[in-house]
Amino acid sequence: MAEETRGRSWTRCGGTTPRDRRNQLRVLWTMAAWAVCFVAGSLLIEREVLPVGAGRWTVAALPCLAAVLVLVAYARFLREADELQRLVQLEALALGFGGAFFAFMGYPLFERLGAPTLDVGDLGVVMALLYSLGGLLGWRRYR
Amino acid sequence: MRNRLKVLRAERDWTQARLAEELEVSRQTVNAIETGKYDPSLPLAFRIARLFGQSIEEIFLDGVERRP
Repeated sequence: MAEETRGRSWTRCGGTTPRDRRNQLRVLWTMAAWAVCFVAGSLLIEREVLPVGAGRWTVAALPCLAAVLVLVAYARFLREADELQRLVQLEALALGFGGAFFAFMGYPLFERLGAPTLDVGDLGVVMALLYSLGGLLGWRRYR
Repeated sequence: MRNRLKVLRAERDWTQARLAEELEVSRQTVNAIETGKYDPSLPLAFRIARLFGQSIEEIFLDGVERRP
């Protein structure tokens, strides 16, 4: 019974290890901090609430600092991850980065045919969607 | 790569979760190794071998016939 309880606590987070779960949460928290900094910074700059000068530059730089925290947290997650989890992440990154790169290299052909013009923000969305799809496919393959 | 992990685990009446905890990996990893979808790294293969008190070759079978 004690063994069963121990086993459940080890895998209670969808089969991941407690360390992976902790590191994933750290990544999520830093991403949330980045999102708050980015949205708040965008609003403050767009509405010209801050006086012209160093204040605006500081607000614009805050998301960059938060992004560094996200990258550090994600690198730590990858470094300490369960080895299968690391493989799944590698495949997801390959699909996200590679897919977005080739999609944006090829999309101008469609633009010439009349498709809507995309900007850099759309690249991020495509990358995030493909990364999520890659993670989902990896999870299904090895479940 | 075929392996005897499921048999060895069953002999001890362990769940995949229990084995995962002993090896400090996820249950998903244990399942993927047992079903042959994933081959473990060398350090993990050594941990498995140590845990069951056998050599790596006794647990993991590469499917290649050895010449006498």
